[in-house]
Amino acid sequence: MKLWQRALVAVVLLSVLGGLFVHADVTSEARSPYPAPHELAADYDSYVGETILIFGDVTGTDGGGFDIEAESEGVTIDLRIEGGSAAVESGGVVQVYGELRSNRKMSAQNVVVVNRSGGSEWYKYVVSALGALGFLVAFLWEWHIDTETWTLEGRDG
Amino acid sequence: MADLLSHLLAAYALFTVASWRIDWLDRQWVVVGMGGAAIPDLVKVGIVLDSDTVETVLGVPFSYSPLSKLGGVLLVAGLISLAFQSRYWRRVYPLVVCGGLSSLLGDGLRAYADGRASAWLYPFTNWRPPTPSLYVSSDPRALVVALVFAAVVLVLDRRVVDA
Repeated sequence: MKLWQRALVAVVLLSVLGGLFVHADVTSEARSPYPAPHELAADYDSYVGETILIFGDVTGTDGGGFDIEAESEGVTIDLRIEGGSAAVESGGVVQVYGELRSNRKMSAQNVVVVNRSGGSEWYKYVVSALGALGFLVAFLWEWHIDTETWTLEGRDG
Repeated sequence: MADLLSHLLAAYALFTVASWRIDWLDRQWVVVGMGGAAIPDLVKVGIVLDSDTVETVLGVPFSYSPLSKLGGVLLVAGLISLAFQSRYWRRVYPLVVCGGLSSLLGDGLRAYADGRASAWLYPFTNWRPPTPSLYVSSDPRALVVALVFAAVVLVLDRRVVDA
């Protein structure tokens, strides 16, 4: 296959992928029956009494629960989470599943601590960067770019 | 999702075990399959370029989430295959897709507070499969399990090769 044909197929695949990026956002509600944070912020009272799943950054903790800030579409909403035990610190990230109550409070049925603290996020980045570096070395050990065809060619042919 | 290193190690172990039965699946091809395992992690491009920013610039709704779904894996695997000599495509595409699937299946075991994994079969279905909620993405135990799995396979592989 010639280089221009290869480029053409790549453009087609990228176009389909781009279409999927748009489609995924337009149809996101079909994959999540729960209101997004920006929807809660816009019309909170209409969701009171519903059971929802929400992701948020922990902004404060005390003996009675913790506070989270959830964000979507550039809009944030602060919620007070009560019930459901979770060992989290400010800066951590949680998923909370439970009933939405008035006055921006939630009764948690289940809490999953995604990142216990802000440091947990860095752990993922560092380990992922190590993985990427190791993979790159292993890949280039086995494959190289043939500059005549601009394609990847096995080092052992 | 689990960290990238865990995805790569799990894929290494799975493809190496498969290589015991498939003659042509040597180290050169195992590393190609491992590359596929990294596809769902491309969704992290959002850390560098936020999807809301892209949405504002393009003026259309936008989400990177398909990269960590089956549809994204199938399409990116096609793009990766194009980077190889065409005579390799019949091996590269299935290997890269299998690598991507291994990561999607691993991510499907992650914890969700409502007991349902993400809709990783999108765009073929919006269904969210149940998850056993075995781990969260920042859990170092996921990496430890992947490391032990890969190390055991590495040792066994040496014995298979020597035999």
